[in-house]
Amino acid sequence: MSETVIKLENLTKKFGNFTAVNSVNLEVHRGETIGLVGPNGAGKTTTIKMIAKILRPNAGKILIQTNHSGLQDLQSVSTTVSKIGFLIDIPNFYNMTGYQLLKYYAKIQRYPKEKIENRIDELLELFKLSEWKHEKTKKYSKGMVQKLGIIQAILHDPVIIILDEPQTGLDPLARIEIRKYIRKLSKLGKTIFVASHMLYEISEVCDKIALINYGKIIGFDTVENLALSLGTSEINCVLLNPLPAEKLAPLLTRMVDRLNPYLDQNLDPNTSEIPIRYNPEHQGLKFYFDGKNESKGEILKILVKEFESDFTIVSFIQPRTTQLERVYSKMVTDNTPEGTIKLTGDDSKK
Amino acid sequence: MRNEDESFIGISPIYHTIIFEMKKQKKKLYFFTVIAILIAVLTGYILQLFPDFLLPQTQAEFFSSGLTFISFITLFAACLFFSGIICSEFNKRTGFIVFPKINKYKLIIGKYLGNLILVVFIVAVFYFILGLFGFLYYGGPINIRIFYSFGFAVLYVIALSSFVTLFSSFMKNVNITIIITLVILLMGFNMADQIINLIFADAFEPLYSLAYLGNLITSVLLNPFPNPRYTEFSFGGMGPPGMGGGDFSFGTWATPSIFMGTTLLLVYIVACFLLAALLFKRRQL
Repeated sequence: MSETVIKLENLTKKFGNFTAVNSVNLEVHRGETIGLVGPNGAGKTTTIKMIAKILRPNAGKILIQTNHSGLQDLQSVSTTVSKIGFLIDIPNFYNMTGYQLLKYYAKIQRYPKEKIENRIDELLELFKLSEWKHEKTKKYSKGMVQKLGIIQAILHDPVIIILDEPQTGLDPLARIEIRKYIRKLSKLGKTIFVASHMLYEISEVCDKIALINYGKIIGFDTVENLALSLGTSEINCVLLNPLPAEKLAPLLTRMVDRLNPYLDQNLDPNTSEIPIRYNPEHQGLKFYFDGKNESKGEILKILVKEFESDFTIVSFIQPRTTQLERVYSKMVTDNTPEGTIKLTGDDSKK
Repeated sequence: MRNEDESFIGISPIYHTIIFEMKKQKKKLYFFTVIAILIAVLTGYILQLFPDFLLPQTQAEFFSSGLTFISFITLFAACLFFSGIICSEFNKRTGFIVFPKINKYKLIIGKYLGNLILVVFIVAVFYFILGLFGFLYYGGPINIRIFYSFGFAVLYVIALSSFVTLFSSFMKNVNITIIITLVILLMGFNMADQIINLIFADAFEPLYSLAYLGNLITSVLLNPFPNPRYTEFSFGGMGPPGMGGGDFSFGTWATPSIFMGTTLLLVYIVACFLLAALLFKRRQL
């Protein structure tokens, strides 16, 4: 396993009697993309603010990888953390031009002087803000301010990037661009920490998800492993041609019989009455299976071999977002301040 | 590889913050420079155009009358430049962007010095124009005391700036900070001085008062320096005693001594700024 770059140990933050973050333990390894997911007021931003040293924890520690001696307590590091790039909350800028702001931020973080101009141009180009380079930020739209917020976070090419709700206020195209960029940064070996309640955005880019509610981490693992705790997983199978109505019932019965060992035996009736459903609108089949990777393979194998004459499969995917949505819903429903339910797993117990 | 921690040692971030802050406050600088020029021209030139207006006999007296407005200029400039120096980072939430990038002490030093340079520049412009008129009317050389006065004006404006910065470090709103500091500096200190004078007369010199310490700016122009510094005025009333008759005396402190004034202005500068920096460091967003 790669080295730990951030470690939160029993991190706690209270505002009066209200505990915003309650004994959070979390370990982030180099190169990982972690999603911090939770409802509004769950403690996501407060956790990030403590890592950014904007808030002081009431208890616990934030350990951070330094160049000198491995993990060090953030509070004892007297200098501002220059190796982390932050986007916290909805960004607010001084009323200067985008260029003036970025130049200032690059300089105070000691980005090499000769590279500053190129770096600013490159990022403004990437986020399609080049035309606004010399305009004051008060003229920027909400989405443009958000983009500038992301640019300032990655401007000095930090090793760790922490983004709080980066997609807020962005149009769909910009969201796609940001997802692409996060993936690109991830490939470059950056450690990325994204807090959001936009499950699709998170599930698309993150390796692991930390579920937070009422200030507690109640699950920390990959989407697939978190979904195991649900006991059921979905596979969406899109067909080339629609299934004829008269053949549908016997076909579904045959499929249930044949795939039975791999299907979810204890399917929650609230999710579905039957483990295989046909959706004529999407021309697709939905399978509720036991979540095991081997089962997924077997299901595909059987469908291709034994049902070849009945339909042709165009795509066969396990939707991460839906899984995460279900995990998330379960978490919000089950997790109360009085008692929390552990959804997984090895990592969250660390 | 770049040493991440080392990169934050040194004064480079302070220097960049100074430059950035000066650019940020450009509009205020233009506004106050124009105001300073207008007032200097008004007191130094336009008033002299009126036939009834008598030109003071000496250059020092000319400077002294011209500097009547300097305390107002410095006061308003300090309030408007420094009131938002800390609280705007919290109120406008710009701190979320900048706090993780720079050590808070370096940020406040940079912002403070950046604004200070601008305020001192405005004061210097005022003195320069006044000096120019002084030279025009009285010829050279320029009275050396105008430079002493300038020195005290700079010291005074730094003290005012530290004082306003201190308020900015715990206040929540920029506008309220401006109003409160203006009220304290324009009225609060003067009222307190009057009350202290009435109660203690010459037994207690109001050295706590920034307004009183600011008197050094004009009194240093006087030759000789005021001595005694406490003056008592007596008024003779008409009528029987108790009915407006009898003598009424009222005393006032004209100026602090140069040594005491300088020392206390320095104390104000250091104490207010250090306290402001500590509060800023502790304050959470």
